[in-house]
Amino acid sequence: MAGIIDWIDERTGIRALLGHALDEPVPGGARVRYVFGSVLTFLFVQQVVLGVLLASYYSPSATDAWASTAYIQDRVAGGWFLRGLHHHGSSAMVVVTVLHLVQVVLAGAYRKPREFNWWTGLLMGGLVLAFALTGYLLPWDQKGYWATQVATGIMGTVPLGEPMQHAIQGGDQYGNLTITRFYALHVFVLPITLALLLGVHLYLFRRHGVTPPASLSDEQLAKKSQPFWPNQLFIDVAAMAVTGAILVWLTYRTHGAELFAPADPASNFVARPEWYFLFLFQLLKYFEGPLSIIATVLIPGAVATFLFALPFVDRAQTRAVKKRGPVLGGVGLIMVGVVVLTALAIVEDANNEEYQEGLVAAEHDAERTRELALVGVPPAGGIAVWQNDPQYAAMALFKEQCGTCHQIDGRGGEEAPRLSHFNDRAWLRGAVREPQSAAYFGGTKLHRDMEPYSVEDLPDDKLDAVVEYLIMLREQGSESPDSSGYDSALAKRGEALWADELDCSGCHSIEKGADGDGAPVFWGRGTRAWIARVIRDSSQIDLYGKEAEMPKFAGKLSDEQIEALADYVYTRGWPAE
Amino acid sequence: MSDQHDRSGPPSNAAADDSRRTFLKVGVGALGAGLAAVVVAPALRYALWPLAEGVEVTSGGEEFVVVGDRGQFGKQPIKVDIYADRIDAWNRVENVKIGSAWVVEVDGELHAFSTVCPHLGCAVDWSADIGKFKCPCHRSAFAVDGTPEEGPAPRSLDALDIEPREDGLIAIRYERFKQGVEDKVKV
Repeated sequence: MAGIIDWIDERTGIRALLGHALDEPVPGGARVRYVFGSVLTFLFVQQVVLGVLLASYYSPSATDAWASTAYIQDRVAGGWFLRGLHHHGSSAMVVVTVLHLVQVVLAGAYRKPREFNWWTGLLMGGLVLAFALTGYLLPWDQKGYWATQVATGIMGTVPLGEPMQHAIQGGDQYGNLTITRFYALHVFVLPITLALLLGVHLYLFRRHGVTPPASLSDEQLAKKSQPFWPNQLFIDVAAMAVTGAILVWLTYRTHGAELFAPADPASNFVARPEWYFLFLFQLLKYFEGPLSIIATVLIPGAVATFLFALPFVDRAQTRAVKKRGPVLGGVGLIMVGVVVLTALAIVEDANNEEYQEGLVAAEHDAERTRELALVGVPPAGGIAVWQNDPQYAAMALFKEQCGTCHQIDGRGGEEAPRLSHFNDRAWLRGAVREPQSAAYFGGTKLHRDMEPYSVEDLPDDKLDAVVEYLIMLREQGSESPDSSGYDSALAKRGEALWADELDCSGCHSIEKGADGDGAPVFWGRGTRAWIARVIRDSSQIDLYGKEAEMPKFAGKLSDEQIEALADYVYTRGWPAE
Repeated sequence: MSDQHDRSGPPSNAAADDSRRTFLKVGVGALGAGLAAVVVAPALRYALWPLAEGVEVTSGGEEFVVVGDRGQFGKQPIKVDIYADRIDAWNRVENVKIGSAWVVEVDGELHAFSTVCPHLGCAVDWSADIGKFKCPCHRSAFAVDGTPEEGPAPRSLDALDIEPREDGLIAIRYERFKQGVEDKVKV
């Protein structure tokens, strides 16, 4: 082994290089407070490795992004874990960046001669946020899509922002070019820029060394000095290990990163940015109309300017904390502002019922779409995954086969009864009161046969009882009767009315297996099985008999298709009652 | 870990100091290796997942697909495209081209040959003037019955299964085979 290293060293000088990199005295000794830069470097390297791994399955296009992310998350072995580490890794970078900044401010390390360390550090901090913003959109799910819309929308409202917004999103709308641009920024431009800045930052750090506690004299510092390798590096690596352990724990606990339903421009998703942008999100709420520029540009710009100017703002004679009250106060005020705004945003959302309901709906959609994606997403893209839903196929089938005559949800023809809510009480009441309306049998031959029942002949309370009776007959005739679906006392009253008072029984039978002679038998009317029978052949004697005008679909559609249609019509048969 | 009191003082402590340093060095190596393993171990499984048992990244070609009427095929090879539903990683695509085949009648019997050259996978063409299948890449040539005649191809053109249907239609099962080897092995 040593022989091989000798051989390599002779040709490359690797020992000298390593020695130069590691044999650095740390004046005043190794300390925990110096770890943040190393931890950030570790996190950056880990993010790069994880990013490359994700890129080996991810496809940056508006049609493929969500589907490929769902593939990583739910199909590829370990995909959820690596994606989760990458996701939480970005949070970790933000947290450690802030800790690093606080440590540097406390130590006064931004002061002469380390101004350029400070400035390159601030730029890298900005890049970390840019990474977060661009990465958020890449899954092309509801959350990323809508949250990023807000961010680019803000860009569009500032002076000269519109051309910038359009340049970044590749046009005036979101689409393929938005995602390719964000991808190029996220995986090429930002990492390369960050790596270059990191090189400069590290070079300057080595040039000036750590910023030891101001309380120690030069003599004490020299006396307590320890080598970087292994003393400081051990502490650094231990801190990295703690960070790594927290990340793994978080990733397991959350089963990786969230993935919401595919981006749907037609939906009203409750958009929220990632937690570390919540303070900006909250700030926006306080400035309306033309004043919003205060929240989007002026305040953030003032904070950034203050931080960049910190080496000049600080006129104190020494680095001692006591001498730098105003500067520390200023930075502290910014921190407090951020924390307070973030807390306000979280509390507001926790108490916002609409938001909480929206979140539940969003999570439901997420679960459903990811389940549907398991069999493959149609090439039309993310939202096309809904086409895998059997309900969707039934909807399409309904539109094609039934919609020319029947209406559902306000769409379709008027030749035959409307089928929205056709199983509920209001529909049944209407069918008795005005069977000749286009909503019921007005478009068919049947309306000639059935006379409307007026309020005089059948008061509302009696009608309600009869309707309840019909619902009881449906329930009793279904595969799994559910007596909680109707009011049995009321239904009994209806039964008595039916038997003794009303003329309905002149045409309609109610018994199971009765021969209806062309007027529908009410036993089990409206169940799935009944609807399927109507679809197969509505001219059966216990359905609409020879008056039936509806085409027979038995033989035309497969049994599965008929079942699916029946199921669709059945589920649409319910009211918002 | 922060070392507030001085340990590197008297020479009698030098041995203790050495062992402490060794501990730190080993610690750096162990923790570093552990950190790397957190990503590397799942990364290997993740990257090699398409090779794992039971994983099917792409599908299509399991079923027989109708390519035409028996009557349209004769002694001149005809190229037919095969359409099938296909899963391609996250996509499910209906009725897309998954490949093509040459269909020809030799001695009264119908044959279907995959257009994929068994050498290295270029698409073979029918050269009507010399009456041979020719690969445009490495000069392999095959007789009308698929037998290799020239060039580096290690075996005959790959015959595909044919299924005649009752109504006179011809169906083919489009499969892919390992390239560059003498035996016809399904991939």
